[in-house]
This record gives sequence, C-alpha cells and structure tokens, in this order.
Amino acid sequence: MTKLDSVRASTGPSALLKGNTLKFKNVAATTGLVVAAAIALAGCSSTATPAASSTPTTAAVDYSALFGTITAGGSSAQANAQAAWSTAFTAQAKNVVVNYDKSQGSGGGVTNWTAGSYDFAGSDSPLKAEQQTAAATLCGPTGAINLPIYLDGVAIIFNLPGVTNLNLTADTLAKIFSLKITTWNDPAIVAENPTATLPTTAITTVTRSDGSGTTATFTKYLSQTAPSVWTSAPGSAWPIAGTSAQKGTAGIVSAVTTSVGTIGYADHSAIAKLTSASIETAKGTYSPFSVDGTSAAFAAAASKATSTVAGDLAQTVDYTKITGADMYAIPLVSYGILCTTFKTPAQATLAKGYLGFIASATGQSVAAKNAGSAQIPASLLAEIQTSLALVK
Amino acid sequence: MSDDMTSAMPSPRTTSRDSLKNSGSAPQGGGAGNGGASLRGSRVRPGDLIFRSLSTGSAIFIMVILAGVALFLIIQGIPAIVADWTTDPSLNEGFTLAYDNFWQYVGPLLFGTLFSSAIALVIGAPIGIGIALFISHYAPRRVAGFLGYIVDLLAAVPSVVFGLWGIIVIRPFLLPFSEWLNTNLGWIPLFGGQVSATGSTILAGSVVLSVMILPIITSISREIFLQTPRLHEEAALALGATRWEMIRLAVFPYAKSGIVSATLLGLGRALGETMAIAMIISPAILVSIRLITEGENSQTIAANIALNFPIASTLQRQALIGTGLMLFVISLAVNIIARYIVTRGSAGGGGKKRNRPTLPITPMSDTSATTTLDIVTEEQKLGRIAVNSRAEGASV
Repeated sequence: MTKLDSVRASTGPSALLKGNTLKFKNVAATTGLVVAAAIALAGCSSTATPAASSTPTTAAVDYSALFGTITAGGSSAQANAQAAWSTAFTAQAKNVVVNYDKSQGSGGGVTNWTAGSYDFAGSDSPLKAEQQTAAATLCGPTGAINLPIYLDGVAIIFNLPGVTNLNLTADTLAKIFSLKITTWNDPAIVAENPTATLPTTAITTVTRSDGSGTTATFTKYLSQTAPSVWTSAPGSAWPIAGTSAQKGTAGIVSAVTTSVGTIGYADHSAIAKLTSASIETAKGTYSPFSVDGTSAAFAAAASKATSTVAGDLAQTVDYTKITGADMYAIPLVSYGILCTTFKTPAQATLAKGYLGFIASATGQSVAAKNAGSAQIPASLLAEIQTSLALVK
Repeated sequence: MSDDMTSAMPSPRTTSRDSLKNSGSAPQGGGAGNGGASLRGSRVRPGDLIFRSLSTGSAIFIMVILAGVALFLIIQGIPAIVADWTTDPSLNEGFTLAYDNFWQYVGPLLFGTLFSSAIALVIGAPIGIGIALFISHYAPRRVAGFLGYIVDLLAAVPSVVFGLWGIIVIRPFLLPFSEWLNTNLGWIPLFGGQVSATGSTILAGSVVLSVMILPIITSISREIFLQTPRLHEEAALALGATRWEMIRLAVFPYAKSGIVSATLLGLGRALGETMAIAMIISPAILVSIRLITEGENSQTIAANIALNFPIASTLQRQALIGTGLMLFVISLAVNIIARYIVTRGSAGGGGKKRNRPTLPITPMSDTSATTTLDIVTEEQKLGRIAVNSRAEGASV
C-alpha cells in the first residue's frame, strides 16, 4: 500500500504543476495505478517491482472515458482472474461496473448469453456448431467469436505425507484415473518415483461430480496422450464410476486436502497450498506446473480451429505436441464469447474495452499475479486485439 | 372443491367472531347476539366480499400454480422419456451416455432418493419425536419455549450451510466410526465394501439430512402432543401410571396419526433436498445399499439435476426434467399417503377417536356445542379458536 500512495503522491502533484507534460504523465499514472493495484491485490508483496512500466505498449489505452455496466458470467475457472481483471480495469475506468457471475458454469454462461442477459460469456469450451446457430438470433448474421482470454494448467494434486514430488507419465495417470492402478506402491508408480517412499494404501481418485470444463480438458488430454489406456470419450461429465466424486473445484481441493491417499485434478489457480505432480513431457523428463511452461506448451499445442466467422479464435489443442522438457503437460484454455455485432454500439465499446484490457500484456500479468494463472502467448494476444477491432 | 370449502368455511367463523365481539362490547343476552348475527348475514358488507374473493383467489391461485408445475414437468419431460436413448446423438454423450432408456437412468436415481431419505428418517424421526415429547411433557415451561424456538431456528439454516458443515465436520467425524463398522460388521451388506477415505458417503449425507428434517418432525409432533386431552393424561396418572406409562397410554395413541404425518412430511423434505446432498455425497448412478463406500453411493434425483443441469444439451435437460417429474410424483404420493393416514386416523378409528377432544372436560370444549351462549368468557373463546386453528394447521 505504501507503494500505491507513493505513486499517487509523486505523479499527482507533478501532473498538476506541469500541465504541458500532462499527456505523458497520464500514461505513466495509469500504468502506475495498474501496477499498484496489482501489487495491492497480490497482498502487498514487497518483492514485486513495477517492472511492467518498462513495457507500457498496451497500457497506453485510455479507459477513463468509458461509462456503463458490463454484465458477464460463466466459467468458474476464470472466476479468480475475472475478479482481478475487473478490479484492475475499474481502477482505470472509474465509471464502469463489471459483474461476472461465476455461479453459472460454462454451460449456464453460454445459455444466459444466448438469451441476451450477458455482454459476453466465459466458457471453457468454444461454441459448438448448434450453439453458434442459436447465437445467430442474438448476434445477427455476423455471428459470435470465441476469444481465448484465460490460460491455466490442470494440476494433478495429491495427498501423501512425506512425498513432496510425484512424477507421473500420461499412461500411469490414465491408469490411476481409470482405476486400473489402485494402490500407491504399484510397480508403475514406483518405477517413475524411485526415490519416494510410497505407501501400500489404496488410491482414492477424486473427480468432479458436476459437469466441468476442467474435466473436459483433462479427459481430452488423457484420451490423446494415453489412447491405449483411456478409452472413454472426452467430455465435461466424468465418465468412470467408482471414483470419489466431489462438487466443484473447491470440493476436489477440500477432499484432497483433508484425506490421505487421494489424488485429484483441479485448475491450478485453485489448488492453494497443495502440491501438484510433475508430468512427463519429453522422454524421461518430468516437469512441474509453471506459468512459463504452460504458456510454452499452449503455444506449441494450440492451433486456430477452422471457423466460418471472421475473427473467431477458437483453438484446437493437440496435447501430443507438448514434448518440450520445459513445458507443462496439461494447459487449460478458457474463452470469452461475444457477438461481433452488439445491439448498441455503446455496449460494444464497453465490452471491447474490458476484453481489450484482459487481452493486453498488463491484463495477463494481473491475472498471473493475482489468480496464479498462466499467460496467453503474445502473438495470440495481438490476434485477439485484431478480432476485437471487428466488434461493433 | 375449493369453492364449497370457501363457502362453507366463513359462516361459522363469522358467527363466532361476531358473537365474540358482542359478548365483549355489549352486555346483551345470548338471544340478542344470535339475532345480531343473523341480521348481519342478510346484508353483505364490502369487507366480507373483498376478503372472501381474496382468499378464494389465493386458493385458486395455488391450484393453478401446482397444475402449471405439473404440466411444465410433463410437457418438458415427455420428449426425453419417449426418446430412443440408444440412437439419439445428444443422449449418447456426457452423463446420459451409458443408458438405453429413460427408465434405466431414472431407476437408480429413484432408489438413491428413497434410500438416503429412508436412512435420514430412521435417524431423524426418533430424535425429532423425542425432542417433541421433551418439549411438550418433560421440560419446564421456560426451557420448553426456548428449545422449541431453537429447533424452529434450525429450519432457517440454508442448506448450503448444512452442506459445508457436512463436509468440514460430519465427514471426518464419521470416518473412524465407518471404519469400525466395516471391520466389525462388514458382513452386513450395508457396511461392506471399501471404506471411504474422504468420508463423502451416503451415511454422512443422511446424517446431515436427518438434522435438516428435525424441525418439521419436531414442531408438528409437538403441536399434536400438546393437544392430547388433559383428562386422558390425568386419568392415566390417577390410575397410578408413571409419566412414561401416561405418555404410552394417553399421548401416543392420540397422536399416532399425527406422528406418522409429521414423519412423512419430514420424508417429503428429505426427498427434495438438493444442495447439501450434492456437496457431501460422492455420487454414482447405481443401485447399492452400501453406506460407507466412496464410489457406490446411489445418487439422488434432486442433486443429480443440480450437478448436471449446467452442462446439459436440450434433450439431456429434458431428461433431467423427466427425473424431476418422477420426484414430483413420489413427493405427491408421500403427501397423499400422509393425508390418508391422518384422515383414517381421525375418522377410521371410529367416532370414538374424533369425539375425544370434544369430551366435556373443560368449559373450553363446551363451546364447540354452544358457541353463541354467553356462558364462556372472551378469553376462553380465544383460546378455543387458537386450539382449533392449531389443529387445522397441524393436519395440513
């Protein structure tokens, strides 16, 4: 907080005194504010330095003229990041209110958006063909676009006292989660963790009982990387009976935190103090979750899906392409879905402003600092800005 | 039905109220009071008319709502119930993938709903009736009032709070108990299987459910216990019965149908409970009576709808609404049975039972026969009316 005060104190009076240099000072002040807000959100961590001010390429946009309310909702994976984004954004755009309803989940978000209640929907999966058709009544002939605004990793969390690092291959992971491996000292796990002391107890596999984008990403990863073991179709509902099924990411995290011998999967931004497993990417190399590793993996694996809508950036992720030693194996991408033609131009300007802020280097670093998520690669951010320019 | 009810209801009420007013305000004779009532009956007052149409409207409104809900469930549910689950593409993905038809999907859900509610009743009903008995017959007046207030307060706790309480407190609390049951009584199918490590069992869910149904069971049975004719109780005590024997001989026979209906209303509450169950139990769609496993807990209809609704496609949503229709039917059946038992309890037991509360025990009950006579004070009449309305409320 002292930093926030000092930024205000230093830029405020000088801007008043030297009216001629106001333009530059305004930019510096807004950049400073964003960084200060980010620091404040991060819980006043003293180690954070205002380094972002050295690359103020996207922060130069002036949001202060915007006025109104942005209503959105959907994906709960985005919730923490959306909270950080709206705080940082409204610090600059003082007349804007951002409401993001995370209680709906991806499916509910898209449903409400299609019904016209939201300016944009947060969803872990891009619009399906029939959803795109349904959206035509709202968006008109120009259709709707999917913008990948949020990137994170699916963390494999476990609770084994004394085991601080767990190495797993995709095959072993698929065997554990399809209940083919049932004890912690199974030869397959021991072979991958020669130094760890693994107990003889049974594995309790914790999965989601409700439909979830995290489940969709994880089952897709398993079906692509371990096709011989994982034979169930990927989808947002967990396909295998007999696991411990918990409601919501919070339910999984709480069950794994309190019960010994459990293993589960969750959005990395939500796992709190739990340790997550390292997963084999290159042969013999197990890499833990890292922000940079997830971004690198996403850059390597994602490619633009074919779409008939101009500016649509729906991505196809091929997890078998994640083979770098420094990459994290299971990146999770989540979208902002909006019409290219809004009902009112003013609302379009508002939504463009907010999503433009999210898809800026500043916006992505705000999410990384406060929600613990990864960052969308810079090249894709530039594409999002181009797509947003089409929105009117 | 609602029509003749409303036309029949107001007349006795107005009479008693009018005569009551008379006896309070003017020191006239009984005959004058009677005459006044019949005189007023001849010209309709606007207030009467407005109130009558308002209450009639409300009664019709609730019937329309109920019919509307039923109609909605049927219209929305039918497409999924009659659909071909083996070939339809939107039913061959996600949570409806593994089922050949609607009944195969809803069967285990029905079982799970009834099973978890039944366990909750087994735990909750005796405790609820015990609390009610303590409040009505054992506790000092002040403690009774306070305890009744506390139990009613339990009904105001949101179910999501019960869910959190279940996750954080009840789950770990039941874990050692579950392990003990499995080791020592594992040969009973209820306690067999692999014991849960997280505690998210149907047992934990049912324990929380049983707490949630306590207020309903307690408050209804309490009211019924309080209505036991004082003469019966005093007669039992005079014959040398202990307090427990008096309760067994006088209170329980009188309150039997009331207890059953209270329990069934508690069952109705348990059947529809959603959030707490969804949060606590680790569900699977299968028929299993195992209580303490991780992956063999039968899912309930309400929780299943809550968990899968956000990701459902149109036809899957209709399938969920179809399961909701089944829940509606079961709840309706439970309530009808409860009603049947209550009416049979009061009428089927012969005139004997129905006469009991109106035996000439106190001046209060005399008023039922001679409402317009001025031998009773206003206070006594108010008390009589309160008892009447209470009895009506309890039997609903």
